[in-house]
Formats: sequence, structure tokens, C-alpha cells
Amino acid sequence: MPALQAADALRAAGIPCEPAEETLGAVVRLDAARIADALEALNRAGYDFLVDLFGCDTGAAIEITWHVRAFGRHEDLFLKATVEYYGEAPSVWNIYPAALYPEREAAELLGMSFPGHPNPKRLLTVEGTEPLLRRSVLIRSAEEVRIP
Amino acid sequence: MTSVSSMSDEGTHHPVVLPCGLRCVPRGVDELATEHLVLNMGPQHPSTHGVLHVLVELDGEEVIAAEASLGYLHRGIEKLAESRRYHQVATLLDRADYISGLHTETAFALAVERLAGIEVPAKASHLRTLLMELNRYASHLVWLGTFGLDAGAMAPFLYIMRDREMILDVIEAITGSRMMFNYIRPGGVVADLPAGSEDKIRAWLAHADGWLDENDALLGGNEIFRLRMVGTGVIDRTTALAFGMTGGCLRASGVDYDVRRDVPYCAYPGLDFDVPLGSTGDNWDRYVVRIGEMRQCLRLIRQLLDSVPEGAVSAKMSRAFKPPAGESYAAVESPRGELGIHLVSDGGLTPYRLRLRSPAYFNLAVVDEALAGGLIADAIVTLGSLDIVLGEIDR
Repeated sequence: MPALQAADALRAAGIPCEPAEETLGAVVRLDAARIADALEALNRAGYDFLVDLFGCDTGAAIEITWHVRAFGRHEDLFLKATVEYYGEAPSVWNIYPAALYPEREAAELLGMSFPGHPNPKRLLTVEGTEPLLRRSVLIRSAEEVRIP
Repeated sequence: MTSVSSMSDEGTHHPVVLPCGLRCVPRGVDELATEHLVLNMGPQHPSTHGVLHVLVELDGEEVIAAEASLGYLHRGIEKLAESRRYHQVATLLDRADYISGLHTETAFALAVERLAGIEVPAKASHLRTLLMELNRYASHLVWLGTFGLDAGAMAPFLYIMRDREMILDVIEAITGSRMMFNYIRPGGVVADLPAGSEDKIRAWLAHADGWLDENDALLGGNEIFRLRMVGTGVIDRTTALAFGMTGGCLRASGVDYDVRRDVPYCAYPGLDFDVPLGSTGDNWDRYVVRIGEMRQCLRLIRQLLDSVPEGAVSAKMSRAFKPPAGESYAAVESPRGELGIHLVSDGGLTPYRLRLRSPAYFNLAVVDEALAGGLIADAIVTLGSLDIVLGEIDR
């Protein structure tokens, strides 16, 4: 049970978290402010590879997913934390340099910030582009996409 | 030119002619002011393989620092997918990695099937695998040809495109398209192999090994090409892992990881193939690993052709398909590395959030590290060796 083991490693480092086994795989939910500490502890526990980092607008807040992998054991783990709109989550680039691009992308597309990022410029869009939040970008309704 | 002056007692300069007749002292240019030059490579530049803009800071010919500037091809594919039904999303994903669209289509189909618990018929999985391997070979040929061009080898490109044309003809006969396939959908594939397509593939296979040897001899067998590759653009194992590199670039650095073997999907568990590995992670290793992968590709295509199962090519799918609410992640080994689709569903007709884990996006992030310290001519080769596709990076 990778989720429970990861949760044990995190609790041993003094970080409260909630593990779960879902369709997605092993998921651990925790407080966004502790994510850098958590990833540092997990990196020591063998999760040496950041697969992906992205955000999802849930309609109430931004949910960030850090997808890490223990290469030696072929184990994947999804860390999730909720950040309020226009809020912030610590940058983890010094633990996983792979986070450099996705953090910039999440910041510009979801209107949040990652304090500690060494180069917090826009990555994909130009200055002045609004974040692609669900409430500000029109999504076609179920009626519009229904089968004719 | 410094004119010869003699300082008189009053402190004024008077040009003089030396006794030998020279009008200046030949002391060389020792006071030349030097400064670092920031060079814009791209976004319209043949060596950036698409619309990539790389800023390189140069000290003479040496690269001091480099930074990739992305977004010239950003179309918001992930966002657009939120307003498309599940059967329509493949159309968008074809345009993400436009060199190997079948891999992106498969990753999405697998993510949807995992979330909804759909059983895919064996024949559909088999055809997916066959088409993906054909597509991988075609994609690697594009890389091989353009990589040669980057290093200044023009002729191999022409031979390689001849080879690729034959594969594209085969893929077109099966999927109906040469580039935007829209062939692999959640549940299975669109259509069975048309009559005569197996013969067409075998006709190409009869030439493929010889042509690959020929192309390898033209490039890898060339001493000048080899000298430019060995020891340049070194990405060690630690750096490759830290930057989240996958695929041939990661294997060239000596990390033995291939999604097809380690997290098997489709028909790969029943197939016999090797995973070529490099050791130093230089441009030469990346070349050797990809050439090795192409040989394995041919091996896989032969195995797949010999064992096409009978049966349906798709599960029954509702036109108003709605997966249950939840999340799933599925990854495939695309020609560039681990291509993952992270799907979030709220139980509606369209994906709630679709995230494309693009391998080239992570492979490209290493340019700062890989280019710095090398020469500008090597930077172009190193960029080519990473095999990037901007459609997938910018999405």
C-alpha cells in the first residue's frame, strides 16, 4: 500500500496528511504550505522523480497535483493540496528541477504563484492573458455538446 | 591601428616614422573590448524543429547560458478538451504531438478505459500496438533525418524521407490519414485492417532493415558525424532524472526504464523486445539508443503482423458516453518518452480536466544544463538530439 507507507513517512517527518487508494492510484492529501517539506521527506524515502505537476480548477479552489515516482520500486504517488484562488504554494524546484516549467505554466494558467521559483516568468502565454479559470473562460454546456 | 607617437617635453604627440620605415609599432590588438552576446535562435530557425525560441548567451563561440522560450504554438488543447465529448477529444490530441498522434490517442483512450472500466477487445489492443510501432518508426525517421540536417548531413534526409513515405502510405491505408489519424478512440479502434494492408506492411518491411542499415552507415558510419556527437551535450544520469526526462533521452543516460516493459499496456506484455541503453548520455548515445529502438520496432512489427487475433475492433460505446466521476492516469511510451494523460471526470459528457504529460516538455527543460559550457555548433546538435515536437510542448 504505497499511500499508507508514504503517509507513514510523512507523519514521521511531522507532516499531517490523509492517504487514500483511488482509481488514480495512491493519493495523499495534505496542506499546501507543507508541500515542500513533504516532497523533501518523500525524496529521501525513494521518490526521486517528479512525473508531473498541474492544477485543476475545482470551482471552489485550485487543486494542485504533484505526481512523483519511486523509480527503483516502480511506485507512483499523487500528492494533492488545495490552494485558494490567486493563492500560492511553495516552489519545489530545488527538490525536483523538473518542476521549473510546470510551476510557471500552472501559475499563468490558473492565476496563482509559486514563491521561491528562480525564474517566475510566463511560459506559454503573453503578458496580460487572463488565467483560464472555469468561471472566466466559457465552457460549452452539456446541451451544446449533446448529440444532434 | 595605433600610430607611433613620441611624447615631447610639453606633453604633445607628434607622429614619427621609425628608423626602419614603419609608421606604427606592431604590438597586436591587446585592448579589444569583449562582451557576452545574447543570441536569439528562433522562433523561425531550421534547427529549432518548429517554433521554439532559444536565447543563448555566448562568450565567443562558447555557450554561457541558454533558456528556451515556449508558447508560440500554444493552442490551449487541455482547455479545449473540457468542451469536447470523449469521442471528439482524439481530434485535439492528434494536434498535440503531430509526428506521432497515435500514441497520444492511445494514452487518452487508456485513461478513459481505466476510469470507466471498459474491456477492450484483444484485436483492438493488437491493432493499437501495431499502429503505434509503425508510428514510432516514422517518428524516429523524422528525428534521424532532421538530426542529420542539424549536423550538416543533407543526403541522408532524402533517403530517410523515401522510407517514411512508405510507412505513411501504409498508415494512410489503415487509418485514412497521414498525420491527424483520429483512429484510436476510447473502447478500441475505428476500423479493422483493410484488405491488402498486411501485404503492404510486409512489402515495406522487406526493405526496411536494409534501408535502416544504409541510413545508419551514412550517418553513424561517418567519422565527421561521429566526432561531433561523442562527448558533446552530455546529460548525466542524475541530471536526467532530476529534470524528469524520459524515453530515449533518459535511456541514453543509462536509466533502464521503458513504459512498454515496466508498466505494460495494450499488447506489449506478450511481445519480445529489448530496451537499448546508453551510458554517458552524450549526443552519440542518444543516436545509438534511437537507432537501436528502430531495430526493435521492426522486430515488434514482425511479431505483431504474425499474430493478429480475430474478433471485434471496439467495445460497444454509447454515443453519449459518460465515465463515472473520478480521476485516472495512463501513460504510453511515445517516441519521445513517457506520454501520460491525467483525466479528471465529474461524470459529465466532457472531461472536467485533461492534463497531457508531455515527454518533450520535460526533456526540453534540460537545455540550460545541457547547452551551457559547449559550443554554439554543438548546441544545435544537442537540441536536435532531444527530439522535441513543439506541438506537444506548447499544447
